[in-house]
Amino acid sequence: MTSNDQAGDVATYAASVRAALSDLPSDQAEVLLEDLEDHLREIAADAGGPLAERLGSPEQYAQELRAAYGAAQAGSRRPEPAFGDVRRVVTWVAKSAWYRELRAFLPQLRPAWWVLRGYLAALILTAAFSPGYNLGPIPDPTTKRGLAEILAAGVAIWLSVRIGRRSHNLPQGARFLAASANVLIAFIAVVVLGNMHSFAYSELIGTTTPEQQPFAAAFAAGQVTNIYPYSQDGKPLTNVLLYDQEGRPITVDKSEAQTTYPVAADGKAITNAYPLTQRHVNGDPVVAPRVAFPPWPAATAAANPTASPSPSPTH
Amino acid sequence: MNQAEVDTTQLLKGVLDLAVLAVLADADSYGYDVVRRLRDNGLDHVGDASVYGTLRRLYQAGALNSYVVPSDEGPHRKYYGLNNRGRKALDQSAQTWASLSKALNHLLNGRNNGHDK
Repeated sequence: MTSNDQAGDVATYAASVRAALSDLPSDQAEVLLEDLEDHLREIAADAGGPLAERLGSPEQYAQELRAAYGAAQAGSRRPEPAFGDVRRVVTWVAKSAWYRELRAFLPQLRPAWWVLRGYLAALILTAAFSPGYNLGPIPDPTTKRGLAEILAAGVAIWLSVRIGRRSHNLPQGARFLAASANVLIAFIAVVVLGNMHSFAYSELIGTTTPEQQPFAAAFAAGQVTNIYPYSQDGKPLTNVLLYDQEGRPITVDKSEAQTTYPVAADGKAITNAYPLTQRHVNGDPVVAPRVAFPPWPAATAAANPTASPSPSPTH
Repeated sequence: MNQAEVDTTQLLKGVLDLAVLAVLADADSYGYDVVRRLRDNGLDHVGDASVYGTLRRLYQAGALNSYVVPSDEGPHRKYYGLNNRGRKALDQSAQTWASLSKALNHLLNGRNNGHDK
């Protein structure tokens, strides 16, 4: 056999082997067949004669390769055909440059996560031990309670960083536990943060004046930006003037909507006539929300001359 | 393939890892050379593809180092050698093999003795 014939024989034989193993996942086949040609060339050079004579048919050779390579991993490495596409995508992502960059960059964020983790842990503990307490993201340092919270957060952050710095020499099992604990803290923190009393705008800006207490202060549900009064029989009322127990006009929280106040004869704006006439930022008028009226007891309804007749009159 | 060869092949499969590790513990080597040394040591029926596949699997499993050595005639050769993990695997497998072969020899001797009586 000339060396040219040999090269052709090797190429043909290798191609047949590859074809017989084409059902293997590409990454697996790549590892297995990486230097198949070099190996076959070695045999051809040493022995002479066609490869098939020495090694058997390419299909047999492929089968033997598969058994020797895959025997220990069959099943575990063979993906479900349905996940073939997912696997390909995962492989593609894992190989991409931006993913590797991200992987390289993530460890640098570790200390930041340790600090955040300590803060979140303190937040979770505060929430767990004081149900109903109006928890804010930043404790108020002017109260004893707030100071205690800040102190607790400091200790928790110190502990978290300490744990983080020692985590690299944890045994395998403890690592898994630690990872689970991290996920748990992050998950619970999302729930706690979600339930947190949202930062009232006025808390940050402090726009309210002492005479005009924000009506919303009494409402845990959030800001009140308008009031829609109805009569007992459900008719919407207009220009209803509201005053508190001291006789002060009741005003609502400022909202993003543009409010037009009626102007009194003396030129002053009337700010407590409800409902307020408001327009959204885009110019659309703010419309009244759908409301559910309470079912009045029959006697009250009957006493009201404008109420619709009760289905089962009792008088 | 006759029956004896099939039996040998089947038996070999289980211990081929051990045989390949043992050959490489002796000296670093490339695929075809490993086959040759196994055959020189009496494992006549060891298949080329089995050895090549085993080498690739052990390498993939992290038991072997590999490096390419240019050769003057012929193709570049990929040499394999044991790393720490490979040496550990070899030690463990060797122990397992020793106790297994001892037990089997004992069994077989007992059978032979029984026949002799």
